[in-house]
Amino acid sequence: MNALEYLDLLLKALLLAGVYAAMAVGMTVVYGVMKIVNLAHAGFLMLGAYFALEMFQRFHIDPILGAVMALPVFFLFGMAVHWLLVRWLPKSDTPTLASLLLMFGFWLVLQNMGYLFWGNEDQSILTPLTLSSVHLGDVISVPKVNLVVFAAAVFCMIVLQVLFHRSWFGRSMRALIQNPYAAQIVGVDDQRTSRLTFGLGTAFAGFAGALLGMLYSFSPDFGRPFLLRSFVIIVLGGLDSISGVALGAVVLAVLETFSTSIPFPWYHHGWNFFYLPPSYQPVVPFALLVLVLVILPKGLSSLFTRKWKAA
Amino acid sequence: MSRPTDMSGWFKAILPWLLLLALLLLPVAGLSANLMRLLFITAVWTTTSLGWNLLGGMAGQVSFGFAVFFGLGAYTTALLMHAGHSPYVGFLGGAAIAMLASFFIGLPAFRLRGPYFVIATIGVTEAVRVIMNNLEITGGASGYRITEDKLFNPMEHYYSAIAAAALAVIVSSLVAGSKFGLALRAIRQDQDAAADLGVNPFISKLWVHAIAAGLTGIAGGIYARRAGFFYPGDVFAFSTGISILLMPVIGGIGTVWGAVLGGVVFGIVEEELVVNFPNLHLLIYGSLLIIIILLEPDGLLGLLRRLVRLFRSKSENSGSGKADEVLWRRSGA
Repeated sequence: MNALEYLDLLLKALLLAGVYAAMAVGMTVVYGVMKIVNLAHAGFLMLGAYFALEMFQRFHIDPILGAVMALPVFFLFGMAVHWLLVRWLPKSDTPTLASLLLMFGFWLVLQNMGYLFWGNEDQSILTPLTLSSVHLGDVISVPKVNLVVFAAAVFCMIVLQVLFHRSWFGRSMRALIQNPYAAQIVGVDDQRTSRLTFGLGTAFAGFAGALLGMLYSFSPDFGRPFLLRSFVIIVLGGLDSISGVALGAVVLAVLETFSTSIPFPWYHHGWNFFYLPPSYQPVVPFALLVLVLVILPKGLSSLFTRKWKAA
Repeated sequence: MSRPTDMSGWFKAILPWLLLLALLLLPVAGLSANLMRLLFITAVWTTTSLGWNLLGGMAGQVSFGFAVFFGLGAYTTALLMHAGHSPYVGFLGGAAIAMLASFFIGLPAFRLRGPYFVIATIGVTEAVRVIMNNLEITGGASGYRITEDKLFNPMEHYYSAIAAAALAVIVSSLVAGSKFGLALRAIRQDQDAAADLGVNPFISKLWVHAIAAGLTGIAGGIYARRAGFFYPGDVFAFSTGISILLMPVIGGIGTVWGAVLGGVVFGIVEEELVVNFPNLHLLIYGSLLIIIILLEPDGLLGLLRRLVRLFRSKSENSGSGKADEVLWRRSGA
């Protein structure tokens, strides 16, 4: 492979990182504020993809617009889920297994709903954008749909960052992330902020699911590999910071994209190079997950500084 | 004075033996092939449920990754039988390989706590399944077939499954009653406090993980031998790991009989309900999980106990009156 081809891969990895960040950020805010490892995130991602599909097929709404429309719909849905299930969980400042199993049960329910409504065939959203690409020189070509999806993801991340830093809600969220007790003493409404946060997390899951649905084919079991990738990203990012999520997303996307083109040298009658067979590529995020959990449980940012928490 | 408790204690001691006797005698009475299969699969699931319960229930380390041991048991048994060994050697080999794998997984994973451990086990399961899907010597994703050069004997399969379940009950009871079991419960309640009291949490977790993996490996081997054909998307599936986790949670986490109850309920639900409503099984399990977590964290066994207590307090005197009576008698004597 020559340098241009590597550049092409790098570009694709960065575009992928945008969607990955949007996908993981919802899980991060929910974890940060409520200390819940939201396994139902996978279900919300799946529903988001089907939401965009339904909007596209029934009302001929462009999937990008569908993704943006998913934000308010899933926001309300998430608040309802919080009101119905999540608020009954015992409070804790470390994640509890009860919360994990509850969200897992809800994921199973969502998945089954998916099978009932849409069957188990793989679906995909095909727009004129899907098959056309932008060419830069002879080697580098980027599908237009990836560019559009990247732009939407980055735009929403910026909106979230502004919301996080400039609004009362964002400030109370950050206060709860930093210290739930002190936050309540100074007047942050814990229940209300939790409900809104869960809504926000779900909204981003639906949005990211719709974007992922434009890039990949999906079935009701769609969310699982992305759930694990979200874990990798938020663990890399240190579990509760938004900028950490962006960093984690880039690391994962780059490693995944390059995993099959990095030569591993080994010596056997002279130097040989071993390339990871493409069929083993899905192992990369899982192996990375276990590695990062064991080696860097506080995330990549702990390498640089310790006061980098909370965006 | 406290004859009712003596009675129930005696009853509790004899009940497992009665159950075992019934299970051993049932096939002699002549059962339909379908019922035999149901009992077989229930016994296999109960074995895995008891295995999981040792780690997840007693030591409090929830793992989504038991499909790895189940699958390794299945494949090891198949490969050993293919090499000409007796199936029983295969089961033991499956247990050994599963135990070995449990150390490889546990050494890094037990440095993590709570949800981080859970997430790591999800990662391990997925990675192992992808690898097994691509491994050439086991036929990759297209699966593996066991051929035996003798007639299919449902009795033998049945008795081997019952033996495995009985072994799991015995091992669980021994662990639960031992100092080791006490250490595990201490770890579940507060790992740091347990460490201060002289328990080594890391080593204890590694060992209980190995025991649990061994039992699950045996169950995998027994399952594979009867099934005759299996593939990574089946034995190594994420959903297999989920099933193994669901059973003790449904039955009553942390207790031997809760795990057994969960295994039995799951086996029957899986074979009867799911066959009739194949497109609702995730919904059933998901709702069960939600209901159990929110309303009755001790599972079906907890619900039963609560009902028994309710029934007793109605039929007998109130507890406080009894306590007064006891105190009075002691002081009077």
